[in-house]
Amino acid sequence: MKTRRTIFSALWPPAIVLVAAVLAMHVAASVLNESFLLPRPSAVAKVMFDRRDELLASLWTTAEAALIGFFASGFGGIAVGMILSASPLVRRAIYPYTVFFQTVPIVAIAPLLMIWCGPGLAAVALSAFIVSVFPVIANTLSGLLSTDPALEDLFRLYGASRWARLWKLKLPMALPSIFTGLRVAAGLAVIGTVVGEFLVGLFGPGEGLGVRIVSAKKQGRTDEVFAAVLIASLLGLAMFAAINLAAKLMLRHWHASEQDN
Amino acid sequence: MREEKTRFDFNFAQLRVLRAFAVYLFCGAFLVSGCNKNTATDSSGAAAVQLTLDWKPEPEFGGFYAAKQDGAFSRHGLDVTLTPAGEGADTWQLVATGKTQFATSSADQVLIARKQNADVIAIFAVYQTFPQGIMVHQSRGFKTMGDVFTHDGVLLAEDNAWLHFLENKFAPVRVRITYYSGGVSEFLAKKDYSQQCFVTSEPILAKHQGGDPQTFLIADEGFNPYTTVVICKGDLWRAHPDEVRAMAAACREGWRDYLDQPDPVNATMHGLNADMDLQTFAEAAAAQKPLIETDQTRAAGLGTMTGDRWKDLADQLVKLGVIDSSVDPQQCFVNP
Repeated sequence: MKTRRTIFSALWPPAIVLVAAVLAMHVAASVLNESFLLPRPSAVAKVMFDRRDELLASLWTTAEAALIGFFASGFGGIAVGMILSASPLVRRAIYPYTVFFQTVPIVAIAPLLMIWCGPGLAAVALSAFIVSVFPVIANTLSGLLSTDPALEDLFRLYGASRWARLWKLKLPMALPSIFTGLRVAAGLAVIGTVVGEFLVGLFGPGEGLGVRIVSAKKQGRTDEVFAAVLIASLLGLAMFAAINLAAKLMLRHWHASEQDN
Repeated sequence: MREEKTRFDFNFAQLRVLRAFAVYLFCGAFLVSGCNKNTATDSSGAAAVQLTLDWKPEPEFGGFYAAKQDGAFSRHGLDVTLTPAGEGADTWQLVATGKTQFATSSADQVLIARKQNADVIAIFAVYQTFPQGIMVHQSRGFKTMGDVFTHDGVLLAEDNAWLHFLENKFAPVRVRITYYSGGVSEFLAKKDYSQQCFVTSEPILAKHQGGDPQTFLIADEGFNPYTTVVICKGDLWRAHPDEVRAMAAACREGWRDYLDQPDPVNATMHGLNADMDLQTFAEAAAAQKPLIETDQTRAAGLGTMTGDRWKDLADQLVKLGVIDSSVDPQQCFVNP
């Protein structure tokens, strides 16, 4: 149970770093004095306040695509990981090709995405999925293959079916790895969404953060660029925190990684 | 007695690391000093400058490649490196930060730059008439530019001032708008796609690849900024007016050469940009002539600009909310 003192001791070091970073940015911006290269933090804060309605609308649009892409990666990645763990032959045949999800440059396939799905939500969510699915597959597979052999033997001795072994032993034992994969996928899903919006996002009211970044940059409004980037980072952070919370809730009773020592 | 270890008693391994670090620092210092981009003179005494182009080598830059090829630049004492920057690079930022001495941009970009307190000015305007248009499939049966915006479909466009102008003029807009990244392949793939274009290049390219393009000119709708304008820092004009005059004069000669004899220069540019075939180069060079050479340029010289045109553009951009009225159009250009 965290006491107030431990919460404070957890918060003050990153808070000091944040204040130092903001000060450094203010000094650098004042010295450089080219507002279209580096805005002052006060200018970024001002535009976040002045345009809060528009930025909030952009945030919802981006979050929608990021969450769709992330959940698709999550469910799809875990499913593929389970299939690959079931058969060594299938694994050897297919696993090397899943790496293509990680290495394909989105810039190159974005025109194809647009032709298949049209510009907008579908193409952007697909971009988020492609960029974030591989870590989930890799970590799920690794977790499922790392079950303690002694425990597997124990289950077999008791006559557990293959399905029971998967559902009651391997999957729960793999959960920490799966959550690691999901943590990585969350950040990547946001990146994939923003990059997708750079390439195939829709302009107009409620345009996503990625579209706003490119528009603002074109008009030299770097303060708005920084504001949008900051908001996108906060979105990634929020998703990351949500996954950590889910991990804590599911693992806290029995796994060392989520138990305070 | 134990030997006292002072702070500087390094062992052999640490010494090797320190030595390597010192070598890298030394080399790094050389690299950094070599990045000085100020105007230098080369061995023949000509001023070595860079002209960054805001698209790939195409007929819109023909006069610059002609000036290089036919020696106009060197006759005016300039050693010019032409650097194509690719799609939609914000060339005014490159000029304002000193990464390049000269670049091509458009008049609306110059006004936006000055609003951001970047002191860039225009010295030579290639296009007297705005050559951008919107290309649609003839099979859609559109009669006017407004039809493009008020019907369903997808429009591929860059987020520039002209787009805001047209969205404003034809509000409420039904077409879905997303990024244009070059070429005509998406346009050809889907019948309900429209795209921005230079009226002298993409429609010709699309027709050669079997498409049925129909083009609407944006200038006809009332938005007509000077385009492919050569820009430089205001400081450069004030400190080295001769260099700026030389650049403008050389561009004038190069464009005269290109308008009269485009083929040799087209061959050079095609070698640098294989996306466009030579036939298209030739057709585009012919199609763009009336946009470059007008009665005004026959009277005052190729590339010259008038204050009225700049003022009209500034007024339009203020109305669109792209800039505020504090930008003075007279400060934006010179006819050196």
